Amino acid sequence: MQSRKDLVFYGLLGLTLIAFAVLIGFVFLVAPEAQPQAGGLAQKIFYFHVPAAYAMYVSGAVCFGASALYLAGPSDARDAWAKSGAECAVAFGMLVLTSGPLWAKKAWGVYWTWDPRLTTLLLSVLIYAAVVVLRVFGGGGDAERRFAAALSVLGTVNLPIVHYSVKKWGGNHPTVITQGGGGLSHPDMKTALLLGFVAMTLLVALLLWSRARLALAESRLAALQEQAAAEGLEEAA
Amino acid sequence: MQTSTQTAAPSDRSTAFVPVEGGQETTSAEALLITAYIVMWALLLGFLGLGYRRQSRMETRIGELERAMTRGGTSGRTP
Repeated sequence: MQSRKDLVFYGLLGLTLIAFAVLIGFVFLVAPEAQPQAGGLAQKIFYFHVPAAYAMYVSGAVCFGASALYLAGPSDARDAWAKSGAECAVAFGMLVLTSGPLWAKKAWGVYWTWDPRLTTLLLSVLIYAAVVVLRVFGGGGDAERRFAAALSVLGTVNLPIVHYSVKKWGGNHPTVITQGGGGLSHPDMKTALLLGFVAMTLLVALLLWSRARLALAESRLAALQEQAAAEGLEEAA
Repeated sequence: MQTSTQTAAPSDRSTAFVPVEGGQETTSAEALLITAYIVMWALLLGFLGLGYRRQSRMETRIGELERAMTRGGTSGRTP
């Protein structure tokens, strides 16, 4: 069973690495440089920045689903997926928040501006970070798990606001895909973006699965330690 | 690069790249691109690597505990 799980991990890791190798090759060798207003060469950050934001949405959705299910009926597996979703949402949120400002410096002339999309995204990442901190330092009791699950559900409500903020309130952030505002003037740029989504889908699946597996192992270890202590095997525990 | 913000409507700003008023585009695109890729890959590989290492440690510990409990079950509990 263990070796089968390792096989899944390495298989998914291999596919992800191949997808990223193809993506990097396409982005730097095939996709043309964007217009100077879009940041020129720096616009190539876009092929990772946008798929990373999509991966954050996927992680948030997994966190939301698992947290809602946990609130309806607690189980270790649901808690593990909720925790994994929150951790991955923070990781991908950090990718978006570090790659975006570096691109913005070239396209907008500043690293950061309190634009509606940037501000709402920062808020989302902070909420997921609060969930992760709560899970790390708050203990693994049912009350803490429930509180974290409730916070995750509330935090995910912010994700549609992040997505639609740019359409609703404008701001500096362009509506890249639906309105063609991100410098996607060439068909190869659209192909590169598509490859970015494929690679990031594999990566988010790999990370979500491996973090959920880790969270389940933590629960199993805690249960075993309790059992060992109850049986008088303190040294082993 | 600093003049168009005053005239750009919110709808224009959401469909095109418009520089922020007062912002200065001075850093080279190459430096920004390289920094972005280094930071992104460091974050991702760190997250994946640390998780994998923690998983291996945890599985070793679970194995040790299970073996100890099996021994405890067959040879009686430790005093």
